[in-house]
Amino acid sequence: MLASIKTHELKYESQKLGMMYFRVAIILFGAQLLMGLIAAFQFLVPGFLFEIFDFSVARMVHINALVVWMLFAMIGSVYYMIPDETGIEAVGVKIGKIAFWVLTVAVTIVVLVYIFVQIGAGTEATIWFINEGREYIEAPRWADIGIVVVVLIFYWNVFATFMKGKQTGIMMVMVANLMALAGLYLTGMFFTDNISMDQFWWWWVIHLWVEATWEVFVGTLAAYALIKIIGAKREIVEMWLWIEVLMLFGSGVLGMGHHYFWIGTPEYWWEIGALFSALEPVPLVAMFVHVLYDWGKEQGLAEAEGDGSGHALNNGPAMAWIVTNAFGNFLGAGVWGFFHTLPQVNIYTHGTQFTASHGHLSFYGAYATILIGMMYMGLQGTYGIKHMKMTFKSKMGIFLTTFGVLGMGVALLISGYEQVLVERAELGATWNAFFVAQELPWYIQGQLWRFIMGIVTFVGFIYLVWDLLTIGKQAKQAQEAKA
Amino acid sequence: MAKKNVSVWTSIPFWRRSAAWVTGFAVVLLIWLSFDTLGQISMGTDEDLKSGVTKRVPGPTVINYNIDYKFSKKRGSEVPIIGDKEPFFGKEWSVEDAAALLHLGKLTSQAKNCMNCHTLLGNGAYYAPDLTKAWLDPTWEAMGYFGQKTKEEGIAHFLQHPAENAIHTRRMPNLAITPEEAKGLVAFLKHMSSIDTNGFPRNFSKTVEQFKQGGTNAR
Amino acid sequence: MFFEPFTDVVPSFFGWLNQGPLTLTIFLHTIIVLPMFWIYFQEKKKLEEA
Repeated sequence: MLASIKTHELKYESQKLGMMYFRVAIILFGAQLLMGLIAAFQFLVPGFLFEIFDFSVARMVHINALVVWMLFAMIGSVYYMIPDETGIEAVGVKIGKIAFWVLTVAVTIVVLVYIFVQIGAGTEATIWFINEGREYIEAPRWADIGIVVVVLIFYWNVFATFMKGKQTGIMMVMVANLMALAGLYLTGMFFTDNISMDQFWWWWVIHLWVEATWEVFVGTLAAYALIKIIGAKREIVEMWLWIEVLMLFGSGVLGMGHHYFWIGTPEYWWEIGALFSALEPVPLVAMFVHVLYDWGKEQGLAEAEGDGSGHALNNGPAMAWIVTNAFGNFLGAGVWGFFHTLPQVNIYTHGTQFTASHGHLSFYGAYATILIGMMYMGLQGTYGIKHMKMTFKSKMGIFLTTFGVLGMGVALLISGYEQVLVERAELGATWNAFFVAQELPWYIQGQLWRFIMGIVTFVGFIYLVWDLLTIGKQAKQAQEAKA
Repeated sequence: MAKKNVSVWTSIPFWRRSAAWVTGFAVVLLIWLSFDTLGQISMGTDEDLKSGVTKRVPGPTVINYNIDYKFSKKRGSEVPIIGDKEPFFGKEWSVEDAAALLHLGKLTSQAKNCMNCHTLLGNGAYYAPDLTKAWLDPTWEAMGYFGQKTKEEGIAHFLQHPAENAIHTRRMPNLAITPEEAKGLVAFLKHMSSIDTNGFPRNFSKTVEQFKQGGTNAR
Repeated sequence: MFFEPFTDVVPSFFGWLNQGPLTLTIFLHTIIVLPMFWIYFQEKKKLEEA
């Protein structure tokens, strides 16, 4: 992937810009995993780096690197697919490149301040320049404004290119969805003394991102990728995409209610949150079925009348990641989310390791996987490879990261289950109850396994990066040797 | 004339229009619901407190009152009970002073990044205890208010010297909290404990009773 | 006791619709889904006439 800076066969500057975003994304992904390992270790040895690099700092960088690497990879994916879908170069690719550097520098400064300054005095200045102290959107206000400007440039690029070029159904969904995605960030940019009001709006960003607009974004990427990788028929893919939009937004928008059970908001949210969010897994099942169905159909066609290669796929690793996404989205976001979405259950599970378990599985299953798949597609285009096959490193990368994250999810679920029963149901959520539950062996064993599985994930990540750095060149040499 | 055999279920325009309708209408409903909710969760006033009007989120002057969390048969869960007046840091706070103190406390809670160890109203990290009803926690009394006279002074003292007064091996780090900021944080915690959270956390009051009778589970 | 008395803190339109076993959410689901029948038959007519 690094060598792709010099040697590439990409016709469009927009796609090169996409690759630039991917490179930063994968670095931030590594940072996220390292911070996660530190935080996981602090659960086992609380004195580790005490008052030097506390849990709060490691955890803040862990989740911020997560959000930012995903946003980078998402922007990269869009820049990569724009020319393919519209048939033209992105209209403002030069300013797009400037925006990329601005964003990268800003993110670097924010992270350095998180790591070295960490916290400030209780003044407005801290909120403006150090951190905002609101989970996931801790970025200080100056960076918020910078992000908005950069995203506006990005959005203008997408919108103007869409208007000028070919207008496909996929791009129509993309343009509409990105507008909502970008606009929602604004609802998380103000300060209030009222903690209920604070969290009410905070969820507008967090929920309407990860359970609505990001999911539709994933559906759009999957639609594009299926057409590119297995040659799925556009009519069928786009029909599915609209069905997915219908079901994702239909359940996800009012599914917001499941965050409004206990933050001071009225009781009627119990019902709204319960049934709407209980339906959220339905589109995720549909997406999984759709991906496998199309794959099977195209494979059958390829064998019956294909080019003799017998392969429906032209990109093995990308397809592997996309199938993992289809299943991981259903399992991590759908099943794990449903576990604790009903208020009758959630009153006990809210704010326990249950949430952490769901968070790990769903962010990985729903988002990390497909974005990595997009990186492999980018590499295929960069090196002009007709058939990209899985290498040993690709297999180790996808297997170990997936196995590791699944292991973390299960381990945290077991810890969470113990915490729910002992701290919440039996003892009633006082400080004493919290620490009693945290000390029980079943809880600690879960945390230990989470740390071990975190290391497995990290080893998988090393294989993944190694593969991303080498697979393009190797495949190109093999292709040239053949010709 | 026989009608043509058509398939609406595989028609892109049908799904596109349905998607647009469902999304648009769900958004309209969400906005309508939000207006209703925002009205209900905006802070009450000092008059509400004086005349006994129940608000989901009371005004800042709630720090001048005794707060409890008791089971309500009607609601089927525990609800905050705002009782008689009690001094807070030895005095009664005016509307302006209480609002300023709460403002400082909320600002400090964000500046010190509380949410990335603790949970507030159940949201945040899961490394340290939930702070929703921290003001009412029996641990403060059990620790003898860390040698201070009142609960609020005890909590303020703890916040300024958390590592030395740790009650568990998972210690809270020293966050350079000033005496004024500590006061603000205590006001913020007391205010949060007065918010009606529909019974979250459940069973809290039951444990408080057990704990006061000496039934501790600590090891 | 199929319908429950209103228990919430502040009375409101949505609180009033929230009368017991899933009344509010079923109502909302219904008004979201019903117009799709109309869309269906309209699209059907269009396809038949095309």
